[in-house]
Amino acid sequence: MTGIGTIFRKELSDHFSSYRFTILFALIAMASLITAYMAGIGLREELAGIAKPKFVFLMLFTATGSLFSLVQFVAFFGPLIGLLLGFDSINRERSSGTLSTLVSQPIYRDSIINGKFLAGVVTISSILLSITLVVSGLGLSLIGVVPGPEEVWRIFFYLIISIVYISFWLAVSILFSILFRGVATSALATLAVWIFFSFFIPIGASVVANAVVPLDIQKQENPELLVKRIKLERGVSLISPMQLYNDSTAIVIDPTRKTTKAFVVMGPLERMSQERFQRPLELLQSVHIVIPHIITLISITFICFGLSYAIFMKQEIRSF
Amino acid sequence: MKFVNGKGMAIILFILLCIGIIPVISCFAQEAEVKAANGPERKFTMNFVYPEVILAGGSDAVDLDLTFKNKGKKDEVIYFEYESPSGWQARVKTYSFDISSIYVPAGEERSVTFNIEPDKETNPGVYFFKVNARSEDGALTASRTLKATLTQKEKERQGEILLKTSYPVLQGPSDGKFEFSVSVNNETKKEQPFNLIAEPPKDWQVNFKPPFKDTFISSLVMKPDENQNVNVIVTPDRFASAGEYVIPITVSAGDLEAKVALQVNITGTYKIDAGTATGLLSLETQKGKAGNLSIYVKNTGSATLKDVSFLSVKPENWDVQFSPEKVVSLEPGSLKQVEVTIVPAEEALVGDYAVGINVNAERTSDDLELRVTVRSSAAWGWIGIGIIVIVIVGLFGLFLALGRR
Repeated sequence: MTGIGTIFRKELSDHFSSYRFTILFALIAMASLITAYMAGIGLREELAGIAKPKFVFLMLFTATGSLFSLVQFVAFFGPLIGLLLGFDSINRERSSGTLSTLVSQPIYRDSIINGKFLAGVVTISSILLSITLVVSGLGLSLIGVVPGPEEVWRIFFYLIISIVYISFWLAVSILFSILFRGVATSALATLAVWIFFSFFIPIGASVVANAVVPLDIQKQENPELLVKRIKLERGVSLISPMQLYNDSTAIVIDPTRKTTKAFVVMGPLERMSQERFQRPLELLQSVHIVIPHIITLISITFICFGLSYAIFMKQEIRSF
Repeated sequence: MKFVNGKGMAIILFILLCIGIIPVISCFAQEAEVKAANGPERKFTMNFVYPEVILAGGSDAVDLDLTFKNKGKKDEVIYFEYESPSGWQARVKTYSFDISSIYVPAGEERSVTFNIEPDKETNPGVYFFKVNARSEDGALTASRTLKATLTQKEKERQGEILLKTSYPVLQGPSDGKFEFSVSVNNETKKEQPFNLIAEPPKDWQVNFKPPFKDTFISSLVMKPDENQNVNVIVTPDRFASAGEYVIPITVSAGDLEAKVALQVNITGTYKIDAGTATGLLSLETQKGKAGNLSIYVKNTGSATLKDVSFLSVKPENWDVQFSPEKVVSLEPGSLKQVEVTIVPAEEALVGDYAVGINVNAERTSDDLELRVTVRSSAAWGWIGIGIIVIVIVGLFGLFLALGRR
């Protein structure tokens, strides 16, 4: 893999010096800082005078301030980082003619795509890491609570999942930049995919569920039908990586959540029995709950990258 | 009487009259003689006003009137002497001094006080006091006897203590408290303190308490004829076995005492204790997988427990089994192990659940609350790692197949 280091370094320096990255980072940093600040202010007011609940630090990430919680914000707009970083990575080189020059250098062709992907992942990681650190620091000064080791681990897991999730979108955008020769086309295509998965799938899921299990909300339907419908809706929406990401981060960051399901049918005794001990879950238990989600996220990221890798390797470059 | 003629009749009548009249005549004749002589020359009589007296044992001296009457025409000085039976003191006195003679003018009557006093240890019985009197010259004598009966009612004279209780027998378990109500009646004539003494069995406790008060007392002062209720609180030995226990209660004042026997029937306590050997009341299991816990049931009461059964309060669709399902008989102090198998429902959420276990014997029960931690199975984790490994291997295969171009 000679040359991968060179490509990686070059790509990284390109990313960090580009206006695109600066603007993107500034936007995201601003938005997340505001979100975290609102959440912190809200928490401080809420917690004034009461005993400190467990895992108060994690609430900084999950508490919805005025609009979004930080987690929700990353779930919605995080993909944009990946998309913007990768949508023109190959086809821009191709259209400007640098790709054939690059290939003619004594470096392997797979080093080009590997280096580009790795550089993207590192960029994403640094953005997310810095945001998380800044938000944590802000939280420290705002609510004055030092996170315990478990909280730090949870934030770490959250960070890893987020990187994988955004890397998935990076892989998608690189795939499109290989597939489509025009930069604008690939940009549009990636945006379309993002909008489709992030906005249309959730709507589509409820439409499908409604079509299969029609339910009159006004009438008190029997819970079995309701559960069936919710199951179906959830199943459909799980097609979206955003749903996978939402579920897994919600569980990992919030130790009191015990299921990814929005609705659980519970008998009165079961509810009583469960309410008896209000203990937050251990980290490993939380991770176990969402391990299928995390695995799926990692797998689709790898598959997406593998696909773009295979296509790129087989592609004819000289014809341009 | 047809054959009797009138003359014969008259004769019979005369004879009858003569027979009847003779004493009358002689009487008249005597009276006539006294009257005629205006009484005898010298005569006196001596009499007890109350010749027979009854005295209660232990009583003090009594004064009796002894009356002398001079029926003669001459003043007399009468000397008298007396014998008192053993155990008695007797004297004759007037005002404040003893006397042995008295002057009785003619036709006058004089009284002296005959004072008798039994000794403390004198036995009951009938006693006679003989008093002999004579005139100065010894021409006239008289003799009288006083009969004194000494009865045995020394105690009755002192009075008595009456104890009464309406419910002398109470029944209950050995961890209970028994409250008797005893009414004490002061039938003595004095106001005095009464001591309350109980003789309970070993390790039992008996307290006396006035009704409606929280103080414990060991004596009480009562006025004559006063009546007071005393609550007797009996706390049995906690480990007393079933049976009948008698507790004598003694109330004493001076040398008087009264007893009442209170009885407590211990029926035995019914107590069961459930727990685990280590005290750990939590267990971990996975959804749909059985979790085991050993609990024990112990009879901590003093009666045998029969039919100890187990109930569980569990979330719906959970399965809780006990092995054995029932303990037929549990002796006091004995212990039995019971295996509890808890299978959470397949749909159970990860986290903690409370499962209540109720150990139910005939008259007693105990509760255990278990904390069942449902853990997620790690199986998915391994499957997931396998998938990721396959994907990565696939990727590297791709690298190898297509790389180095």
